[in-house]
Amino acid sequence: MGELAADKHVKYIISVEKKKDSFESVVMEHLRLNGAYWGLTTLDILGKLDAVDEEDVISWILKCQDESGGFAGNIGHDPHVLYTLSAVQVLALFDKVDILDADKVSNYVAGLQNGDGSFSGDIWGEVDTRFSYIAICCLSILQRLDKINVDKAVEYIVSCKNLDGGFGCTPGGESHSGQIFCCVGALAIAGALHHVDKDLLGWWLCERQVKSGGLNGRPEKLPDVCYSWWVLSSLIMIDRVHWINKDKLVKFILDCQDMENGGISDRPDDAVDVFHTYFGVAGLSLLEYPGLKPIDPAYALPVDVVNRIFFSKK
Amino acid sequence: MSTSENSYSEAEALNLLAQLERILDLDPLIDEVGFIHPSQFATLKEEIGNSLSSEDKDHESTSFWIRDHKLGISTQILIPVYKAAKHAFISALRQYKTPGNFSGKFQDDSVAIEVMIHSKALLLLSCDFATAWNSRKLIVSNKQLLPILMDELRLSAVVLSHSPKSEQAWSHRRWVINMISRNCSTLQWIIERESELVEKIAERSKMNYRAWNHRCWLVSFMTREQVKVCCGTISGLFAIPQIHFGIHVLNELKQARNWSGLHVADNSCFHYHRRLMIWNLEGFCHIQDNNSSGYFVETYQVWKEELDWNESLIKRYVGREALWLHRRFLSLYLIKHIATHLLGVSCQSKPKASVDIDIDSLMDHELCLVHSCSTTVPNANFEEFQAQAIHSAAYMLWLTKQIPEYQGIDIQEKLRAGAGDISRMLKRSCPDRSSLWDYLVDYHSEP
Repeated sequence: MGELAADKHVKYIISVEKKKDSFESVVMEHLRLNGAYWGLTTLDILGKLDAVDEEDVISWILKCQDESGGFAGNIGHDPHVLYTLSAVQVLALFDKVDILDADKVSNYVAGLQNGDGSFSGDIWGEVDTRFSYIAICCLSILQRLDKINVDKAVEYIVSCKNLDGGFGCTPGGESHSGQIFCCVGALAIAGALHHVDKDLLGWWLCERQVKSGGLNGRPEKLPDVCYSWWVLSSLIMIDRVHWINKDKLVKFILDCQDMENGGISDRPDDAVDVFHTYFGVAGLSLLEYPGLKPIDPAYALPVDVVNRIFFSKK
Repeated sequence: MSTSENSYSEAEALNLLAQLERILDLDPLIDEVGFIHPSQFATLKEEIGNSLSSEDKDHESTSFWIRDHKLGISTQILIPVYKAAKHAFISALRQYKTPGNFSGKFQDDSVAIEVMIHSKALLLLSCDFATAWNSRKLIVSNKQLLPILMDELRLSAVVLSHSPKSEQAWSHRRWVINMISRNCSTLQWIIERESELVEKIAERSKMNYRAWNHRCWLVSFMTREQVKVCCGTISGLFAIPQIHFGIHVLNELKQARNWSGLHVADNSCFHYHRRLMIWNLEGFCHIQDNNSSGYFVETYQVWKEELDWNESLIKRYVGREALWLHRRFLSLYLIKHIATHLLGVSCQSKPKASVDIDIDSLMDHELCLVHSCSTTVPNANFEEFQAQAIHSAAYMLWLTKQIPEYQGIDIQEKLRAGAGDISRMLKRSCPDRSSLWDYLVDYHSEP
């Protein structure tokens, strides 16, 4: 089995920002703040957050904030909760959440809660359990959960539960590992994991492991490194991670590395990107791979960062 | 992708954008867009012969290709056109939103038109550029005219022809349909077209979660009873029947089987069946009158039909996970919700229809099926038959664990009798999940 090429991944992540020559990278500029979260969290797990200029990152992030309090994916774009959480998470990595007007940001997020407890992603009203997770996670980091109706939020998430134990985007939506992570994560932060049938969901999740050791997101799909995060973190939160073969999963992730230029891809021999590099490294961290900072399965931030938020004397 | 962005000056990029926007303006019925490598242009041109008019400039014919409402854009020019479109869009939007303009009354329509033109070009190049979709919502919501809303559905469909997983394009459709549903009687006609669109896209884009999620969302607009819905016409754009039946959820289920039977690895299409069946069943909860038992008998028959159909697929397509997962749902739901409910109905009064649901014999049937699937292992296609054995065994164990105790000890006894053997078999053939199987063996050996 190959080893984790940590130094190469650090170099790869730093180089991604500078490479702007392909159409694929140019058309991703609207979600640059998500990219910053993926890249910087990977660096932090690898213990190399100091490889970037903190001042540059923070001043750029602040320029992405809209007057509503929400953040856009890049300067001049419209705000959305997807990028608001990334902004708060990246600031948390640098221990700079304090520079935000927490009430302003949390009012933006809380303002998107609907009467049934669900959350819209922005003013245009699309509802998705992903946005419930984002709202709960973001407000928890800002210590402003009291601004929303948490009971209603939980009630809505539970209404999206399927007979297979999984969760979809909206009531009646198909179970999907990404949505399951969001729902389980939100319930974990809200202290409402008792709503999850752990045996039933654990069974569905462990059936995501295919012969190669990789995990897929739904039945009959190909394995993909990103599900190392979504399936694995969910299994950890419901205490059923021993139902999969962890060694084979470690091997699968390591096989997806570009050993020459760094970065991790969705499957062995595919092209690498920062998204899969993050999920690969974060997955290995959950699997307690040596040399990596442990990551929190619900907040998707290094454990020391989460501890600093909730236990620091300020 | 190799690009030669630097070889295009700003003026050339603007010129390319103007050409693209002219093409979009001249042919409002474009229904498909794609990016084409320059080398493919020559082939395409040979195929159609020299049909380009003399007006076509040299590099227009190597940058864009259009025929039969299909638009091809050269990969060579993507970056310069994208940058020009983004720049033009952002400055038009900024102008649109400046306080003088943004009075809610929109005296200056020309700026709104600029935003619409540039955002359209931009979205064909960058499908999830949310700010561009949002700007269209903003402008459209100030007009509230059906033909304009229909244009939005068409643009979203063009974007989906190239990027069938575009979250923003699917979300835009839902926003538009919600707008239409507020004050329009053509909704049922639109819902039908939507359902067809998903099927068309699902054909080319396998196991597309976003597409099927959209179809599941449409279900809440479907009717559970056969009712007449009157429709108006959409001014001049489409010929729409004046009287139209809403989509009946059970008809839709029957229809959906045709497609799903040919795509047995696509878990999403079976989930769509589940969504339709539960939606239909939930209707029962709202009825609760004298007709309820008749309604319920119909539901039971729908369930039986689906189980039989599923069984025939399981036997024809050996070792398909999605088929077995669908069966888990069908059996459990039947036992947990329908059979108990129907028994409840027939306890209160004499059953109005003669449906005898014997859970015992249902379970016997399932045990038989599992037995036949887990023992016959021919030499050919060994992997498929091994998968069939694993899926069928896991199915039985799953059902055993899910069926609640109060259902009667008989079933539990029956299922548990073989559960230990099944667990051991699974441990042998599927050792990666041995902790789960161990856990279940312990679970079943509990008194």
